[in-house]
Amino acid sequence: MKTAKHRKVGFIFVLCLLVIASLVGCSKDTTSKTAKTGGEESAGEPTNGGLLKVAYQSEPDTLDWSYTGASPTRDIGWHIFETLFALDKNFAIKPMVAKDYKVSKDGLTYTMNLREGVHFHDGSTVTAKDAAASIDRWRKVSSVGKITGAYMDTVKAVNDKTVEIKLKKDYKPFIASMAAPKSALIVIPAKIANEAGEQPLKPEQLIGTGPYKFEKWDKGQKIILSKFKDYSARTETDWGGLTGKKTAHFDKIEFQIVKDSQVMLNGLKTGLYDYAQNIPADLYDVVSSTPNIDPVTYINGYSTMTPDKSEAPFNDLKVRQALNYALDKQAIAEATYGNKKFYSLDGALFDPEQTELYSKEGTNGYLAYDKEKAKKLLKESSYDGRTLKIIYSNNNENYKKISQIVKQQMEEVGFKVELAPYEWATFLDKWKDPKNWDLEVVGWSTRFAPSELGMLSLGTESSGWYKSDRWQDLLDQWGKAETKEQKKDILTKMNQTVYEELPFYKIANETSLDIKSHKLQEYDNWLGQRFWNTWKSK
Amino acid sequence: MIKYTLRRLFSLIPVMFIVSIIVFMIVHLTPGNPATLILGEESTKESVAQLEKQLGLDKPLLVQFFYWLKNILMGDFGQSVYSSEPVLRIILNHIGPTFSLTIFALILILLIAIPTAIFVVWKRNSLLDPLFISVTLLGVSIPEFWFAILLVLGFAVTFPIFPVAGYAAFGDGVLNWIYHLFLPAFVLAAVEIGLVARMLRDGMLEAVNQDYIRTARAKGVKESIVLMKHVFSNALIPTTTVIATIVAGLMGGTVIIETIFTIPGIGQLLIDSIYRRDYPVIQGVILFIAAIYVLVNLFVDLLYTFLDPRIRYD
Repeated sequence: MKTAKHRKVGFIFVLCLLVIASLVGCSKDTTSKTAKTGGEESAGEPTNGGLLKVAYQSEPDTLDWSYTGASPTRDIGWHIFETLFALDKNFAIKPMVAKDYKVSKDGLTYTMNLREGVHFHDGSTVTAKDAAASIDRWRKVSSVGKITGAYMDTVKAVNDKTVEIKLKKDYKPFIASMAAPKSALIVIPAKIANEAGEQPLKPEQLIGTGPYKFEKWDKGQKIILSKFKDYSARTETDWGGLTGKKTAHFDKIEFQIVKDSQVMLNGLKTGLYDYAQNIPADLYDVVSSTPNIDPVTYINGYSTMTPDKSEAPFNDLKVRQALNYALDKQAIAEATYGNKKFYSLDGALFDPEQTELYSKEGTNGYLAYDKEKAKKLLKESSYDGRTLKIIYSNNNENYKKISQIVKQQMEEVGFKVELAPYEWATFLDKWKDPKNWDLEVVGWSTRFAPSELGMLSLGTESSGWYKSDRWQDLLDQWGKAETKEQKKDILTKMNQTVYEELPFYKIANETSLDIKSHKLQEYDNWLGQRFWNTWKSK
Repeated sequence: MIKYTLRRLFSLIPVMFIVSIIVFMIVHLTPGNPATLILGEESTKESVAQLEKQLGLDKPLLVQFFYWLKNILMGDFGQSVYSSEPVLRIILNHIGPTFSLTIFALILILLIAIPTAIFVVWKRNSLLDPLFISVTLLGVSIPEFWFAILLVLGFAVTFPIFPVAGYAAFGDGVLNWIYHLFLPAFVLAAVEIGLVARMLRDGMLEAVNQDYIRTARAKGVKESIVLMKHVFSNALIPTTTVIATIVAGLMGGTVIIETIFTIPGIGQLLIDSIYRRDYPVIQGVILFIAAIYVLVNLFVDLLYTFLDPRIRYD
């Protein structure tokens, strides 16, 4: 009798604890439901000094922005390094460390002048020798540099401030490649460029010309940059993107490695961080209803699905066409991204912001959903009813959802499908062999030239072993195109090729979400995080 | 005693050898490889092959294994595939936070569990005992991550007493250290306090009815002295074993808590290295954890002889 009573008391106690616990859990909502105080207030005079704390999700492997195309390297690296030419807000090419350039009539000799008095973080001044050595290293280590390097002959310093580059054959996108912010052509001292060679730069070799300099890297914890006092800014206004006048307002920037997005959100609420990168879109409503936090959204490439064209059944164009008609991309995007702010249905190969590269002409095949046509084409095709394997990386919730919905839609028209999720490293391994997969779902970040589109690079696993003389021919034409009209025309033909040959299926443009403290003024994201020309109000 | 210790230390060698074989095989047979990861999704076959060669991954597994083993015997645990830093230095850099957290949690566990257990045994015939059992059960059953999130919401966001996340070394000031580590240490402790207190209570309740206790009471020894001197010290052996397992577990790193509170400890290091297939680091960390387990157990076995002089090993 006594023990029964005791148990009851214990039970009530446990119950009380649970109720209290759940109340504590809920109280957070009520505090954060206050109305938001609009967007940016008038920014006022910039405040100099202070420490900017950034919660950064993925730690880069290296800060050598030439060595890898990975976005964590790029986004931290571009505070330290600068390129000869760079893209502005509208993705137009502008000079950065370079002053100007001339091309010879035959298009084979590029002569570029450097700006006077540009300082490296070690105190020395940028000379033509440094620029030439940087270009030579870029040809060896950068993916973009290797493509461009094939057209290049010699690079030499004519005098202290002039570099001359001779090409083997005419290559019109030459300056565009030098300005591409992917595995970029960073200007580093000649001595370091020669020492590092094909190895990634070591921490002590991270000497650039950027507004912030590298200070310290506690692996697994944080990367610290500090203001470069002798920074030689361009004299124009801020052109946006990666060029124009840059002013470092903070004394220090700390990129702290934080994996958990809830920690990021709580950290911003309590002032532990000023900025957090890569927040799941589901948290958008919470973010926009929290008074001292602003959402930062920016387009970041698109999601795709690529068939393995080296083997049956997708070596048959009819099967690929059937699949294109089977995909209801509207439904896939709605179910995957939910909020309309985080996706857009657009069949183009580049982002709408990339005015020089964006073309919607010829993308009619993008939203071609027609179940009956799909069924009919599939019947006429060589598809023998075998089970097809979709591989994807389960690290990303979006690609998991896309794969699941695609499976359903494919089964509705008569495909047999199985899903094969893998952790990222295993996924990359499986991707290499056509035996492991028939379809592969992945997202591609924004690219800056047709030759950099991974899902279309001929003969590789990233394009599902795509072979096409027509595409190769268009790439060659692109290399020779000069005028805007010519380029637009080629882009249209590129779109047509993609939607007729169906080497891959574009799902939807993806928008990323970052969050920033309300105190961060005049902040402007461009592809990634850019912490110059911005400051924290008191 | 010394002979015993030496014998035990000597037995470390076969244990570590077996662990090293298992770790090496698991790590290298897992699909995925660092060269592909470093070079990314657009890597060419040639560049991957070149990087593999540079990292020594192109040699047969057996050759790689013996090469690694030979280096370890010479005190070289290799270097990270990513940062080229020596593995030993990387592990040493991450021990600090994990050790801090372990010590802090251990202090909390002992400070709360021991007095509570003694108090409950002292008041053993009251309502307190079933209440104690329920609470300890709750403590043991609460999922760590949930409790951590709850505490953060309560005491870092709603009432910002502690920081949401982060770590400060002991050298940055004791108060700062406590400020940063209290919540994570408390979460880790909460789960174990119940276990330790229960062990101690059960041991003490068992001892309470022994003949020697009755004798002590009959001699007229005060109840408080009976409890502390006779009951408590006799219940210490099983409790020490439990505490030792806890310490070894905590020293091996706590992935979830370290992630939620962004503490750069051994657990974080291990999970990051696994995602990156940083073979030398994974191997080094697992060997380190195995060594911790063996050494902590050895320490506890030696401690027994002090706690209970009847125990002799020679």
